[in-house]
Amino acid sequence: MSPQALQHGAAPVAIRSAAWYMPEHTLPITEVRTLDEIERATRDGLGIDTVRADDRLSSVTLAERAARRALEQAGLDARDLGALVMVESRVQETFLSSEVTRLQHRLGADDATTFSVGGLGCVSITPALLTARGLLAADPALDHVLVVHGSKPAAALRYRHPVTVNGDGGQALLLSRSGPIRVRDIAQLTNGRYWDLFHVDYRDRPTAQWREQCTEPSTYSFRLAMETRNQLSAMLGGLLRRNGIGQGDVAGFVSQNLSAGSFAFLEDSLDIELLPACRENLRQYGHLGPNDVFLNLRTALDREELAPGDLAVLINVSPVAAWSLLLVETGPQEDTA
Amino acid sequence: MNDVTSQITGFLSAALRRRVEPDDDYFAQGFADSLFALELVTFVESRFALTVEVEDLDLDSFRTANRITEFVRRKTGAPESGEAHAEGS
Repeated sequence: MSPQALQHGAAPVAIRSAAWYMPEHTLPITEVRTLDEIERATRDGLGIDTVRADDRLSSVTLAERAARRALEQAGLDARDLGALVMVESRVQETFLSSEVTRLQHRLGADDATTFSVGGLGCVSITPALLTARGLLAADPALDHVLVVHGSKPAAALRYRHPVTVNGDGGQALLLSRSGPIRVRDIAQLTNGRYWDLFHVDYRDRPTAQWREQCTEPSTYSFRLAMETRNQLSAMLGGLLRRNGIGQGDVAGFVSQNLSAGSFAFLEDSLDIELLPACRENLRQYGHLGPNDVFLNLRTALDREELAPGDLAVLINVSPVAAWSLLLVETGPQEDTA
Repeated sequence: MNDVTSQITGFLSAALRRRVEPDDDYFAQGFADSLFALELVTFVESRFALTVEVEDLDLDSFRTANRITEFVRRKTGAPESGEAHAEGS
């Protein structure tokens, strides 16, 4: 296990602008393919009505469209970027090529220090923020880091038994030293004993036969679930303590969007209530991997579930296994959309 | 059935909405999901005044009512009482 935390008082990092791109085509949950009756029944109980899906759009294209919007909102040109960090795609379209330099080329971000981060599933947004924070702290001449991700399913099926349904969507966060959403603290923990609990075998079969498998369903539903309860409880206590605040000072909790059951699990485990935006986005978009938590935060702000000056905690969990908490402070939202 | 086991089977039968015997493996039977696991562990902690730590998270300690009874005894140091059960320790 490798606990990491950047305490309040370390180098500042904030979201100056944020944007998403969702494909227009809406796929009803009833049209998401499953393999048998058990999977169909689980799928229908996830709390997802629709996902956005467009097989013509790659991860890079989804990320690019979100990136252009985020840059436009901030009034910046891609040439102004000091760094371009991509949260890696779950599956690259070709091996040995570079999706992130493809995006750099498409955007014209020629002067940006460009690379990918990942390895932690939907928690991978956290190492992207840690990276951005480090770059901004290390180089006074670097002012803007663009963090992007295009969410697409890894396997041939969008349904991931018994967890969730993946939708398509792109996200771009323009990070700077100041902005309307301040990331006040970051906590991350991993436990490698679960590194391949879920995996997709691919070397010996055609793409249409790629299937995500859970090697030990009972480990997922018992040991990892209960470890998640214990780890997140300890992490939340530590996060609040080192920032000198109590749970009552947090105006809202946000998590990633897996299922109605996963929301109930987190709420019961941590004795919290998630903001309604989470259930709304789950219903509309399904699971968008590393993009979920900031999309939910944006929706919560739009719906005035949070007010300027509020503190919120963003919760991400991945079965690899990784856990992360982000403490953010919201400000006036004129620059984000 | 001893008192600890009977409290546990009572909880399990209510939570799973079916009669659960002391040696029924509800995980192998496919009745358990993460919400049930949370409910079960929370019940054991509160009813028997103990804390389930990460190092205690061995599914074999929780897969039947009799296994949970053994776990509770180990954690609390309570002496064995009541009827013996089928599984070894």
